[in-house]
Amino acid sequence: MSGYQDEKLPIPTPRRLKKEFLLPGLPSPAKRILAILAALALVPLVLIWHARVSYTTEPRIQLMQDMGVQPRYGPQAPSPVYADGRAMRLPVAGTVARETYAPDDHFDRGYRLVKDPKTGQWKVDFFTDLPPQVAMSHWTLNRGRTVFNIYCAVCHGLDARGDGMINQRATELQEPKWIPPANLTQIDPQTGQLQFGPQEYPDGKLFNTITHGIRNMPAYGPQIETADRWAVVAYVRALQLAQHATLDDVPSEQRGNLR
Amino acid sequence: MGRAAISSTNSQFVFPRWANYLLPGLLLALAVAVIYVPVVVGYGLAPQALAVGYRPIQPVPYSHALHAGELGIDCRYCHNTVDKAPFAALPPTQTCMNCHSMIKTDSPKLALVRQSYATGMPIHWIRVHDLAGYVYFNHAIHVNKGIGCVTCHGRVDKMDVVAQVKPLSMGWCLDCHRAPEKYLRPRDQVTNMTWDPVADAGKDQLTLGLELKRKYNIPDATFMTSCSTCHR
Ligand code: HEC
Ligand code: HEC
Ligand code: HEC
Ligand code: HEC
Ligand code: HEC
Ligand code: HEC
Repeated sequence: MSGYQDEKLPIPTPRRLKKEFLLPGLPSPAKRILAILAALALVPLVLIWHARVSYTTEPRIQLMQDMGVQPRYGPQAPSPVYADGRAMRLPVAGTVARETYAPDDHFDRGYRLVKDPKTGQWKVDFFTDLPPQVAMSHWTLNRGRTVFNIYCAVCHGLDARGDGMINQRATELQEPKWIPPANLTQIDPQTGQLQFGPQEYPDGKLFNTITHGIRNMPAYGPQIETADRWAVVAYVRALQLAQHATLDDVPSEQRGNLR
Repeated sequence: MGRAAISSTNSQFVFPRWANYLLPGLLLALAVAVIYVPVVVGYGLAPQALAVGYRPIQPVPYSHALHAGELGIDCRYCHNTVDKAPFAALPPTQTCMNCHSMIKTDSPKLALVRQSYATGMPIHWIRVHDLAGYVYFNHAIHVNKGIGCVTCHGRVDKMDVVAQVKPLSMGWCLDCHRAPEKYLRPRDQVTNMTWDPVADAGKDQLTLGLELKRKYNIPDATFMTSCSTCHR
């Protein structure tokens, strides 16, 4: 190449610039390496994108484990030490936990045993009212509604007429073993009274049905606390009243609010 | 030695012309790395990538979409300690048998449930959400102060298999603890998966949230974000 000095100053067209300054192309191995590097650089990005949008059956990776995984058991944790796999041990048979110690006939059982003076037999006498621990109040009724809607409404329906979602589905599926739940607001055709009303079905008996179940109805004692079961009793009474209420039951000054 | 070699052939080593690329190339690579590395580390090691989306296969093909969604069973029917205790208990087999002693009594999908009921051996559900052991978390206070399940667990009523959808990282906890009004709802709506402040309470979230924050006596951000609230 001859010296620049001999030439007239060239006009720097892009093409000439490229030729003069940007040099010949890269040797092809280098090009290939660059292309591979660029492609490899995309791999982590794709993997990350995939990890962020997809589900995995692998548990999470804890980067810094310091004390994140502690050699202790939490509630309901599994344990290889015991044959039944539970870390939480079941109490020895016959143990009475403080909260299950039930000294109060009315509150804890809803009935008492009385001796028939004539025959000398013990028989069950259900209480006909709420225990003193549970006062009938706005709060109790509200609590009763919450608990009823959680535990009972699935079968008995929100209005206690016995047509909850599970009943509808089981009827649809024609489940052979399904027994329809009772309509708790039913009027007994013989007596003209509520079949499960306070006269025929005392509060204590209703409480007992919830606690231990009856025939095909499961027990709800294990799931619902004692006071809450009494609140449900109160709320079922309210539903029974409401389902058979007439205009006369509404105080006259409130009737304008009816829609 | 090298020197001797050069002088003996009397030729200097000449870089090929493409070597001029090296310096600008290196600078460019550095500039790219300055962006690339933080992006990969930041996005790749974030809980959204490492923890979110964990969906183990459970021993029984139990579906929340069916039970909680279609059948509308309230969360507390099964997770009945959620508003009383730190731990939201998984239901014992007895709870399943409340219904399944009468429904689908010979479904093969429920074989393990029946077996567990007969033998008393618990079903070994696989844990989905799992905070590090040094964090104290308490369901009862959140549920009783009006934080809905959906805020922290997503639309469980649409999941056939439960998956973790929120990062459950410290930043995520703090985002709410600094300003819980963004998420508060009335206490009786916590298990409602479709609650909407405008449609159901007629107010926008912030107005309602601030009202509830006062009503439920939620402490200020200083307490809510102090380390000993969660690391105790
Ligand atoms: C799994 C479904 C189911 C749930 C949940 C349920 N029940 Fe029942 N219930 C039934 C069935 C089925 C019957 C009918 C039992 C029979 O006649 O064999 C029944 C019957 C009853 C009866 C009438 C009992 C009698 O002496 O005839 C009462 C009262 C009752 N339920 C109350 C409740 C209350 C209160 C709750 C909520 C704590 C509740 N049930 C939850 C299924 C259910
Ligand atoms: C019929 C009983 C039942 C009902 C109702 C129910 N669940 Fe569950 N839930 C379970 C069982 C059993 C498991 C364990 C198996 C699994 O993870 O799928 C579980 C697991 C979970 C988990 C994952 C727990 C873990 O390991 O981290 C969450 C979160 C959850 N449920 C939330 C809810 C919410 C929210 C609702 C209400 C919309 C609800 N559940 C209703 C039975 C129930
Ligand atoms: C309140 C009643 C109720 C409870 C409690 C309940 N289930 Fe169900 N479950 C149903 C009904 C109703 C169906 C049938 C729905 C359908 O197929 O349309 C069903 C269906 C199923 C099926 C699918 C069966 C099949 O062959 O398609 C499985 C699996 C199942 N339940 C598991 C469980 C487990 C595990 C639990 C306890 C954590 C549980 N269920 C608690 C009512 C209940
Ligand atoms: C403030 C956020 C938050 C709310 C609200 C919340 N959860 Fe959780 N949930 C969590 C966290 C965090 C964990 C993991 C706890 C751990 O690892 O100790 C969890 C775990 C669980 C578990 C597994 C058992 C356990 O306690 O570790 C179940 C079941 C569950 N939640 C159900 C529910 C239900 C049902 C509701 C609504 C009534 C609910 N959660 C509301 C954050 C929340
Ligand atoms: C969506 C909002 C929200 C999220 C997310 C949330 N919290 Fe909370 N948290 C609250 C509210 C509201 C309270 C109630 C504070 C009070 O009234 O004392 C609370 C209270 C607590 C308390 C009890 C404080 C006390 O009074 O003793 C602990 C512990 C706690 N949260 C831990 C956590 C942890 C750990 C996480 C993350 C896994 C978390 N929270 C996520 C809203 C939230
Ligand atoms: C709202 C609850 C909450 C508060 C308040 C809180 N943390 Fe955390 N912290 C968490 C959670 C949740 C994690 C992550 C747990 C996990 O990864 O499972 C965490 C993790 C950590 C870690 C471990 C990080 C790691 O990856 O090893 C440290 C260190 C930490 N927190 C320090 C603090 C300090 C210091 C404060 C006070 C300024 C504080 N935290 C306040 C909830 C909280």
